[in-house]
Amino acid sequence: MHNLTPAIWVELLKVRRSRMPLYTLLGFALAPLAGGFFMIVLKDPELARRVGIISAKAQIVAGAADWPTYLGFLAQATAVGGFILFSLIVSWVFGREFADYTVKDLLALPTPRSSLVLAKFIVVAVWSAVLTAMIFVIGVGVGQVVGLPPAPAGVWGPGTVVLAITAGLTIALVTPVAFFASAGRGYLPPMGAAILVVVLTQIIAAAGWGDYFPWSIPALYAGIGGVQSLTLSPISYALVGATGLVGVIATLVWWELADQPR
Amino acid sequence: MVTAIETDKLIKRYGPVTAVDGLTLRVDQGEIYAFLGLNGAGKTTTIRMLLGMVKPTAGQVRVLGASLPTGDRQLWNAVGYLVETPHAYPELTVRENLEVMRRLRPGVEPAAVSRVIDRLGLAAYADRRTGTLSLGNQQRLGLAKALLHTPPLLILDEPANGLDPAGIVEIRHLLLDLARQEGVTVFMSSHILGEVARLADRIGIIHQGQLLQELDVAELERNRRRRLIVRAHDGRAALAVLLNAGFAASLTADGAIILTDSAAIERPDEVATQLVLAGHPPTRLAVEQEDLEPYFLRLVGLDGAGPDA
Repeated sequence: MHNLTPAIWVELLKVRRSRMPLYTLLGFALAPLAGGFFMIVLKDPELARRVGIISAKAQIVAGAADWPTYLGFLAQATAVGGFILFSLIVSWVFGREFADYTVKDLLALPTPRSSLVLAKFIVVAVWSAVLTAMIFVIGVGVGQVVGLPPAPAGVWGPGTVVLAITAGLTIALVTPVAFFASAGRGYLPPMGAAILVVVLTQIIAAAGWGDYFPWSIPALYAGIGGVQSLTLSPISYALVGATGLVGVIATLVWWELADQPR
Repeated sequence: MVTAIETDKLIKRYGPVTAVDGLTLRVDQGEIYAFLGLNGAGKTTTIRMLLGMVKPTAGQVRVLGASLPTGDRQLWNAVGYLVETPHAYPELTVRENLEVMRRLRPGVEPAAVSRVIDRLGLAAYADRRTGTLSLGNQQRLGLAKALLHTPPLLILDEPANGLDPAGIVEIRHLLLDLARQEGVTVFMSSHILGEVARLADRIGIIHQGQLLQELDVAELERNRRRRLIVRAHDGRAALAVLLNAGFAASLTADGAIILTDSAAIERPDEVATQLVLAGHPPTRLAVEQEDLEPYFLRLVGLDGAGPDA
């Protein structure tokens, strides 16, 4: 891919100079903090009785105040909240070129447009992965502060793997958002599409077809429906992969072929 | 010699709207070609087609001998461009914005950034975020991006936009230098007629997507109408004298007499003699050339008389 490395350098420079990394980190940091709060609630029945509804909610989501439950909560938060946050990142990385009218400077260059698009996808993936890693680190800190009991052997490995795979699946599923940011030339169309997907996910998962709706799969994998992650078939994972690929290809084709009259 | 830019019966339609309608033009290497037209005439759409940003509905585009669209991205190493109002990444400094462009144009040495900053007079703003720049300096940055890699072909959409009078003169000299000293071809769009006349070797006038006229600057001078302006203390009486003498004359609201027939324009001394003999000597007698604006409006039919070409 011609001149991909300089294109990645350019995208990273834009990210470094913006406040978006800070904002997305602050937004995502709510996940381990919320998880920590649920752990406090579960640890202290007296407090649980005082907060009432939140206690009931904590029972459903978490179950017990321990590391496996807490790591599971982080994975589920990555699947649900992460999708919105990663969509925001994609919307910014792609949509800003249109909102700031800078795209015209990228269209008649020796660097192929496909390199520019791939560089953006790579930066989105790295950014999202780093955020997830930071959430994990913050989560470990919060878990210590909350005073979760020491994890038995064999908890950290699987818990970390589930979180990483959940993040990977979620990142793959935001590629179509890049297409909406490009074809919609800004921030609102992709965020509208992402919100629509979240709504559809709720409906389709409630109807029992979540295994076959790509955007339901990370949450199911993370165990939001109990032990369902064990029952996900290879078709589910293939659907996620295919969706990610379609998003990348659609965005590449659009950048190569669509008229750019603005 | 390879033609720098060549279009053949170029058409671009957006649904029912025809933005460019059968445009055929040719720009030779080393010349400054001004593409003149009102807002919405099709200038920017044409430029976007020249840069491969918009695909023609019909017709052909050749840039430096390459037919568009081309799979050879190296063509764009030879082209610098500025399309519409320049924009830059607002959180990046002037230098960083140029560094971004340098990285995306492989082979351009790092020193090119500082060189173009100096050339465009941006040194004082080099480390300032572009979001805080004035419109004039944003324009300079846009031009700096176009010149960064010293391309042999510049395609510039309204290069004087947003510049103050000193800036306009400076950029004019810069473009003239590039064309005359370095043989750079400049294709520029503009609606500023005076600027075009000072800068261009040839002018193409586009209106409603069609090329109305293509002429060199000497032709432009010849095509502009001339008229004789006469003033006298008693304008009405002087007008009567000239009408009686057989001149085609009219009186303006501010009391000036306008004569448009060639007999008067070629022999203003005859007009003066007639007036002196009649006892209404002229207080002012001048042959004036039509301004570029009326010429242009006459050509595109916006002077109330319909298109002239």
